[in-house]
Amino acid sequence: MISTKLMQVKSLCSYTCLRKLSAVSPKEKQVTKEDPVLNHPDYFNVHNLFTVKDLFDARVHYGHRDGSLDERMLPYVYGSRLGHVIFDLDKTAEYLRMALNITAHVAYRDGLILLFYRGSQNSHIVEKTAKDCGEFAHTRFWRGGIFTNANKQFGAITRLPDLCIFFNTLNNVLTQHTAIRDSAKMSIATIGVVDSNCNPNLITYPVPGNDDSPTAVELYCKLFKQAILRGKEKRKEHESHK
Amino acid sequence: MAGSRLEKIGSIYSRTSGLIRSGALSWEDRPLWYDVYEAFPPKEEPKFDRPAPNMRLKTIFYKEDKARALFHQNNRQIGAGVLTNNTTKSLTQRFIETYEKLEEQTQGSESMESLYKQAIDMLNRERNTRQTSEGSEEVSLSNAFKKAQKTLVQQEDAPKINVKVSDIFKD
Repeated sequence: MISTKLMQVKSLCSYTCLRKLSAVSPKEKQVTKEDPVLNHPDYFNVHNLFTVKDLFDARVHYGHRDGSLDERMLPYVYGSRLGHVIFDLDKTAEYLRMALNITAHVAYRDGLILLFYRGSQNSHIVEKTAKDCGEFAHTRFWRGGIFTNANKQFGAITRLPDLCIFFNTLNNVLTQHTAIRDSAKMSIATIGVVDSNCNPNLITYPVPGNDDSPTAVELYCKLFKQAILRGKEKRKEHESHK
Repeated sequence: MAGSRLEKIGSIYSRTSGLIRSGALSWEDRPLWYDVYEAFPPKEEPKFDRPAPNMRLKTIFYKEDKARALFHQNNRQIGAGVLTNNTTKSLTQRFIETYEKLEEQTQGSESMESLYKQAIDMLNRERNTRQTSEGSEEVSLSNAFKKAQKTLVQQEDAPKINVKVSDIFKD
């Protein structure tokens, strides 16, 4: 609840500066195409944040039992080892680098980033990550309408996040987090770590990997925190040059 | 701000660009991620109704799995291991190593059973030599008990000090 209240406060103070930054007239439409930041394949150097060995050591390759496999996850899976799904870490690294790049870009454009995790074991580290990089976290029960009915619920025009990062996408073993559907409804980009029993379809930038192990969640938190901080750092640098 | 809440139709990008094209949403009011999405589109379009690919889940097996299966069939109880320990090899790993070494030496002239027996013999011999070299350092409950008994005997043998507690608090 606190996180959404904070979202309101931030919306008030950063709204004007955001307008200034993203106000581009149709004539300038071509300018964004030639933006050096966007045209660079990896402007924030996020590819060097991790190696496949790091992913392996953090046990990102472990999926659930193959009986609970969601068939839409098949292209990301390497195979089944004695009944347990194993992820293809080369593919995971590719998707994770893409997700980190998007995160850094959104942070660079002063976007509002909201981190999600359901599950008591790892929720504290996710909240701490959000605090460390000056963003927001929601790790509790999701009350319906926080996105879809925000203006009524908070009694004011509310700025919704620009990017939602889900470190797990399930509420419990069966149901998907409602915020994924709601983000799609409100046209908010999403990044989600999808385990072998999840549905990656509605997530804009899915990252196949283990979402239960504390080591894996710690690694994700560390990486996304660094990506956000790199984006913000570049933003500060460019603003001081102007 | 105009928006489409039909999340089951198209993707967030296709819906937003449709609104921009029709003029319901002005270019200035486009979402913050819009340019980033255009520059780095996801590998697959994030559509609700994207069908599951027609693929089969392949099974992962290794060449040494036959030897591993034989080892575990004959040894149901091989004790506990520490998963976080990357420095020492587990019993199964050591067995497979010796088995493969033997297989290479015999060049496939011996059956699996005889190779298994030889490998187990080698492992046993290795363990015996290690036990003798390490001596009494091995930690076990019986060893600890013996050690405790020994110290107890030593304490009993030591000269006793005659101190009475009642004497100390006399005055």
